[in-house]
Amino acid sequence: MFPLRHLLLLTALLFGMPRVAAAWPDWLRLPGFGRPAAERSPQRLQVGDFTGGTGRSARLGLLKELSSVPDVQVSEEAAAFTVTGHSVGGRVTARVADALGEPVFERSYAAPGLEENLRLLADDLILAATGKPGLATSRIAFVSDRSGSRQIYLCDPQGRDIQQLTRHPHGAVCPSLSPDGSAVAFTSYRQGFPVVMLLDLSQGWERVVTDTPGINAGAAFAPDGHRLALVMSFLGNPEIFVTDLGTNTAACVSETLGVPASPSWHPSGRLLVFSDDRGRGPRLYLAELPEAEGEVRLTPWSTRYGFCTDPEFSPDGRQMAFTARVGGESAIVVKNFPSGRARVIQRGGARHPSWSPNGRYLCYTQHGVLYIHDLLRRERRIVLANHGTITEPRWMR
Amino acid sequence: MTRPALLLPLLHCLGGCTSPLPTGGEPTVLHALSSRDGFTSPLLQPLRPACSALVFSGTGYALSAAHEKLLRDFAAALPEGGGGARHLIVGQAPLEFPGSHARSLSERRAQAVRRFLIDQGLPAESLQTTGLGHDAAPAGFTGNSVVIYRQ
Repeated sequence: MFPLRHLLLLTALLFGMPRVAAAWPDWLRLPGFGRPAAERSPQRLQVGDFTGGTGRSARLGLLKELSSVPDVQVSEEAAAFTVTGHSVGGRVTARVADALGEPVFERSYAAPGLEENLRLLADDLILAATGKPGLATSRIAFVSDRSGSRQIYLCDPQGRDIQQLTRHPHGAVCPSLSPDGSAVAFTSYRQGFPVVMLLDLSQGWERVVTDTPGINAGAAFAPDGHRLALVMSFLGNPEIFVTDLGTNTAACVSETLGVPASPSWHPSGRLLVFSDDRGRGPRLYLAELPEAEGEVRLTPWSTRYGFCTDPEFSPDGRQMAFTARVGGESAIVVKNFPSGRARVIQRGGARHPSWSPNGRYLCYTQHGVLYIHDLLRRERRIVLANHGTITEPRWMR
Repeated sequence: MTRPALLLPLLHCLGGCTSPLPTGGEPTVLHALSSRDGFTSPLLQPLRPACSALVFSGTGYALSAAHEKLLRDFAAALPEGGGGARHLIVGQAPLEFPGSHARSLSERRAQAVRRFLIDQGLPAESLQTTGLGHDAAPAGFTGNSVVIYRQ
């Protein structure tokens, strides 16, 4: 029986053989690129009356949802947006108008519970007011050994609504959520060998994406949701590949005899970062992908830290979070991209950072506990503890 | 004809395919892996190691002199050309490494063992590798090591 369900047309043919480049790609030298965005003052929102049987609860619940959002400020004065509405039996209808009274949107929310409807409304409000996706309805995928083997779970940023997504014999690890949140790519050991699979979260079906000899691991969704970067070793050494989910073709984008791992995409979809140990411990490398045919350009990316793994670009592409070794233990470091200062966010065994959709927070694990770290307030909170040993969290973009 | 059937010959070709790479003193020829059809993972059923485990230290993936002696003895004990035997080379890495790095590192170590055995005269297509990182441990595994299983 043929072991590969979906094969990969091998090659470096698509992009040509990669080469090491010393200079930054031209498109990275944009004016202002790499400078952190100036902090903006929060948008002012007014929460007006909510009529109906559960109107009062809806208004109070919405105020609570918005109170924890740093990018908006609830205010009676000089509000840029005003929300009013109606709520009966937990359903919510909301009308949002701008400062001139012009309607921005009117929407009804009919999920089973008032709380869920208010989270959806809060996310829509935040998106309208700030242009950034909200956190209330985002999800974090992670790995836990709670069931006796490593399996993949989902929870919300409060550590609630925990769902076990996989029940694979011998485990499933390394989740990556698709940009629209509809699917999870992961590594499964269900046949005893590591293969990359895709789980459709709405339909529940799974399919094998790559099942080549050696390992298939570390899948990361591209921002377009149609490609995965991953590690495969069927050529006789582990390499980073980009595979197209529509055509099941793949191209090798690294050129190494080292230990390439944990590829991650720049939001432009034109740049990958990955770790590679070429003999001096893992360091970070950039792979610039050509728009059509052409060479992949490989560039070492200096961080000044040793043992760098698990890099992830911030949603605006201007920072990179990664795990490094600081003081003999793993630590979370954030560095401006493509260059600039780096700062240690958390020491003492913290690892595997992943950005919130709005770029304000990082989630990571430390000694098996899942944390969310507020980068502006420089404080963190436990999201999930006592749920087995938690590893490899990934925040839905 | 289905897509997998079309691609089958391509993968079989890979078994004998070699690829020169520019390196800095490391091995210069890579031997692609053949189909792993018929190979059994030690996660599915207990398998007996074909020789002592090769224990690594730190983050390294290069073979030590002790590793090479053990592998030379192992290859010498087999009939010429391996005698038709097939072997699965399984790597594992310790918990102190992040999961993604551990998977690649364990595979890289298994590949280093495979290359050395090919240099000792074993056919490339008879040697399969996989890296488990620290995701799962077959019975008897010590961690941070590479184990060879006869198939």
